[in-house]
Amino acid sequence: MRLNILIGGKAGQGINKVSEIVSNTLGNFGYFTFNYRDYQSLIRGGHNFNVLSISEEQIESHETKMNIIVALDERTLKTHKQALKKDGQIITSEQFENEGRNLNITLAGALIKILGIPLTELENEIKSQFKKSEEAIISAKKGFDSQENKFSLKKLKNKISILSGSEAVAIGARNSGLDLYIAYPMTPATNAMHELAKNQIEDNLMAFQAESEIAAANMALGASFSGAKTMTGTSGGGFDLMGEALSLQGISEIPLTVYLASRPGPGTGVPTYTAQADLDIALRAGHGEFPRFVIAPGNATETIEKTSEALFLAEKFKTLSIILGDKHLAESEFSSNKKPAKTPKFKISRKIPGESITKAASYEVDTSGNSTESYSITEKNVNARVAKYEKSKQFINDNFGMIKIHGNKNSKNLIIGWGSTSGAIKDAIKNLDAKFLQVLYCKPLSNQIRKEMEKANNIILVEENVTGQLGRLLREKTGIKIENRLLKYNGRPFHSDELKKYIEEIL
Amino acid sequence: MNPNDLSTKSENTWCPGCPNHMILASVKQTISDLITKQNKTVHQRSGLTSTSEAVNQRSGLTKEDFAITTDIGCHAKIFDYLNLSGIYCLHGRALPTGIGMKLGNPNLKLLTFVGDGAMYAEGMEHFVHAFKYNTDMTLILHDNQSFSLTTGQPTPTTQTGYVSKASPLGTFDKPFNPLKLALAANATFIARVSARDMKHMQEVFTKAIQHKGFSFVEVIQDCLIFNLESNTKDSRMYKIKDNKDKSIAEKLTNEYDYNTKDGKIPMGIIYQSAEPTLEEKWPQLNKLIKSKSYWKNK
Repeated sequence: MRLNILIGGKAGQGINKVSEIVSNTLGNFGYFTFNYRDYQSLIRGGHNFNVLSISEEQIESHETKMNIIVALDERTLKTHKQALKKDGQIITSEQFENEGRNLNITLAGALIKILGIPLTELENEIKSQFKKSEEAIISAKKGFDSQENKFSLKKLKNKISILSGSEAVAIGARNSGLDLYIAYPMTPATNAMHELAKNQIEDNLMAFQAESEIAAANMALGASFSGAKTMTGTSGGGFDLMGEALSLQGISEIPLTVYLASRPGPGTGVPTYTAQADLDIALRAGHGEFPRFVIAPGNATETIEKTSEALFLAEKFKTLSIILGDKHLAESEFSSNKKPAKTPKFKISRKIPGESITKAASYEVDTSGNSTESYSITEKNVNARVAKYEKSKQFINDNFGMIKIHGNKNSKNLIIGWGSTSGAIKDAIKNLDAKFLQVLYCKPLSNQIRKEMEKANNIILVEENVTGQLGRLLREKTGIKIENRLLKYNGRPFHSDELKKYIEEIL
Repeated sequence: MNPNDLSTKSENTWCPGCPNHMILASVKQTISDLITKQNKTVHQRSGLTSTSEAVNQRSGLTKEDFAITTDIGCHAKIFDYLNLSGIYCLHGRALPTGIGMKLGNPNLKLLTFVGDGAMYAEGMEHFVHAFKYNTDMTLILHDNQSFSLTTGQPTPTTQTGYVSKASPLGTFDKPFNPLKLALAANATFIARVSARDMKHMQEVFTKAIQHKGFSFVEVIQDCLIFNLESNTKDSRMYKIKDNKDKSIAEKLTNEYDYNTKDGKIPMGIIYQSAEPTLEEKWPQLNKLIKSKSYWKNK
C-alpha cells in the first residue's frame, strides 16, 4: 500500500500543521510516512505544498501521483490537479469556511476519515499538542464527519518516530555532548540552529549567532581550541565564506565540525529548494592540502549517527569533519522504527589554554608552537598531515559504516548514489533486479566501492547535480567511468516512481 | 613574577628600533605585574582570614590564565615572542577567533593583538560587532597607518595623498576615525597610547585588562620604514585624565582625525562605561564563570 496526499496553500495558512498532525496520527497508528516540503522564499502568500506519503513498510520518498489533494487555495488546485489519480479525491478549504484558525485541524479530521482511521486516534494526537484541546477536537470532528471512508487502514504494530534531518543533526550533536553551536542564518541549515537553540539551557549547551559565516567559523575554531565541543553550520554561500577558516583548521589542527546543508547554486540560486551540487566544495574548499572527512547521511537516523561520528572523528584526528546534507534531508520529515546506533562518546583530553601553555597557528610551527619558515619542519608537518589520511581511513573502516548496500545484493545492476537521494533510490528499486550502493563517506572513500563496481554489469549513477560529482570522484579514485547517469538539477528531489521509470528504461 | 618568564626562544625579526619592541616589553611587564599583584593580595588575604576561605579563592593568577590571539602583520609576530597560550589567526580574524576562545572558556584573560590594516580593512565587521557583544577581553591595536609587512600599502587610517607602490597616484580617501567609530558602536572602553611611552602603556594596558567588558586600546606605533610622513605625531600628543563622560569622549575622539598635520592628539582613557558583558548576558557562560569551570568539565 502506498498513498500520497498533497496539501497546498499560501505560506502562513498552516499546511505544515495539517501534515504534522496527520503524520503523527499515522505514526501512532503504526504507519510509515515521508513528508516532502516544497516552499518558496517568502513569508506570506505564494504557493507552498507538502506531499505526505504513507505506507505500511519503510519509505523515504514521495511520489508523483496523488490519492488526495487538500487545497487551501485555488492555486493549489490549478497547479496540482493533473497530479491527481483517476479515482483521487479533492478536499478544499471552501467546504469549511467558518473554521477560522482551526481550519488545519478540521482538514486533518477530514483526511483521517478518508483514510479510515478512528477519530480517537486524531483526538489523542490533538490532546498531546494542545493544552486546551476542546475547541480543536470539535473542529476535528467537523472535518471527520464531513467525509466518507475511502481507505481502511488497519492499526499496525510498528513503533514509529518522526524526525526532520535538521532535528536529527541537533540530536546527534547533543548525543555527543555538543557545547557550542556557532552559526549565521542560512537556509536550509538554519533549522539545525533553531533546534539546538530551543532548549539550550536545559541541554547545557549554547547556540550563538555570529555576525557572519566568517566570524562563525573563526569563533568555532577559537572555542574548540579552548576545549569546547564545537560545531558550525551553513549552506553553500556561507560555506564559501568559511573557506579560509577551514584552511586554518588544516594547519592549526584545531578540531572543527561543519554542517553543510546544500541548496541549488551558484550564487543565491533557488534558495528554498534542493541540490547535491556542493560535494565538490565539501571535498576541496580551503587552500593548501589537508585531511578532512566528508560524511553524507541519507535520512534522519543516519544523520543522528553521522553527526556524532563527525564530532568524534574531528576530535580524535584533530581534523575537519563536514556533515554534508541538503534541503531535502534537512526539511523532509522521515519516519522510522529503528533506533540509531550507539553514540561514539568522547572526552576532550588534549592540552587547552587555561590549563597549560597551548599554542595553535595559521603558520607552520615548530615544536614550541611558534611560527617557522624552516624547510625541514615544513616538510615534516606536511607529511604528518597527509599521514592522517590512511590512519583515519583504517579507523573509520573498522568502526563506522562507510557505505550501505540496499536491494537485491546479488544483482549485477548497480545503482550508486548518496545523501538525500538515497531515499528515492531505495524506494524505486524495491521490485527491480538492482542493488543500491549508498556512499556515506565521500572522504575517505571505502575500498569496497571499487569491488562493487567491478562486479556489476550495469552501473547507474543517480545524483541531484548537473556534472555527476560523485561519479567524477569515483572515476578519479577507481578509474571507472559510469556511463549511465540519472541527474536531476531543477531544485526538486527525485520522486521514487519517477526514478523507477528512468531506471527501468536503462535496465 | 619576572617579565622574562613570558619570553620565548623565537628569533625576534622586528626591525631594530621598531616601537613594537616597546609594546612587547610593556605587555610582558603589565601581565607579570598583574600576576604578582594578584598573588600578593591572595596571599595576604589567606594570611588574615581562615585557610578554607583562601582555598575557595582561586590560588592566585598564573600566566596559564592568560591567552592571546594575534592577526597577521608585523604586530602579530608578538605571538612568537610571548610565552602565553593563543592562536596566531588568519588576517582580519584575530577578533572573532578570540571571542570564540572566550565562548569556549570565559575564564580566560584574553588579549587580542591586531594591526590597523587587519582590523579596519579585512576585519572591520568584527571590530564593530565586538563592541555590541562587549566580550570581557582586550583589543590592542598597533596603528602605524600602513600595511608594513607587505611593503607599505595604504590602510583605512592612512592619510590622504600617501604615495606607495600600490597608490602611485596618492591615496584619494580620507582615513577612518576608528575611535569615533568605536564610540558610536557603544564601546565601553576606548584608550589611546603611544608605543614610545612604556610607563603610560603599562598603566593603560592594566586598566584595560581590569575593565569588565571589551576594552579597545589604540597604540600609535610609528613604522620606521614605510609611511614616514605620518610619524610627526609625538609633539602633538597630550595626556588626558581618565574620562567617563560620553560628550567629552565625543569631543576627544574628534580632536585627531588621522589626516591633518596639526591639532592635538589626546592620550589616555578616552571613554569608559559599565555595560553587561557577553559573559554576564549569557547564562551558560555566567555559570562557567561562577563555578570557575569550562565546558570541558561540564
